[in-house]
Amino acid sequence: MNIQHRLLKFVTVSNWLILAIAGAVSFLTASSGFTAGLICGGLIVTINFHLLYRTLKKALTPSHLSSHNVILAKYYVRFIVSGLIIFFLISNHYVNPIGLFVGLSVVVVSIMLATVFEFRNLFFKEAM
Amino acid sequence: MEAQALQFFIACVTAAGFGIAVAAFGCGIAQGLGLKAAVEGIARNPESSGKVTVTMLIGLAMIESLCIYALVIALILIYAHPQAAAIAGLFAK
Repeated sequence: MNIQHRLLKFVTVSNWLILAIAGAVSFLTASSGFTAGLICGGLIVTINFHLLYRTLKKALTPSHLSSHNVILAKYYVRFIVSGLIIFFLISNHYVNPIGLFVGLSVVVVSIMLATVFEFRNLFFKEAM
Repeated sequence: MEAQALQFFIACVTAAGFGIAVAAFGCGIAQGLGLKAAVEGIARNPESSGKVTVTMLIGLAMIESLCIYALVIALILIYAHPQAAAIAGLFAK
């Protein structure tokens, strides 16, 4: 498996793992609003990531390229839906905004982790 | 005093508007540059499509999350400022 696919697999799996661990820790230690924010934010970015992957895979695989109008439409629909969900969650005070912010960082944290692990592998290989 | 409280909320809304505008501008440019480079790469070497797409996907997810952060901060400033009640109360005295 090459580095790109290894990174993608790691990020895809670790998104759900980090969300589950952070949700469990928050459930045990923080308020219900914070936990709800964390889980909602985590779900929004993780599902967004999966949808982005599917759209790009369909768009950039040469054997079955999709129309650019479809890609643009999907992109805007995804972005508008995410924005609306975040808007309703914050404006109606359903969740704690800080929890939502932490939840939205799930993908960033897993990409950072994947990069750290790849760097570690690289240095270990060079050292051996 | 009410005018001062109103000024505070006007400042919050202005900051939210400018914040999301700058974020959208930066993310638009960054995503456009990334997409341009990826599409050029695939056009030159169609066989590298899978590798380029995966790398671009991770990059786009990082860039997009920055724009979502800015949106969240803007919405917090407008609708859920943590110290809004305390500051409004301070001006009302």
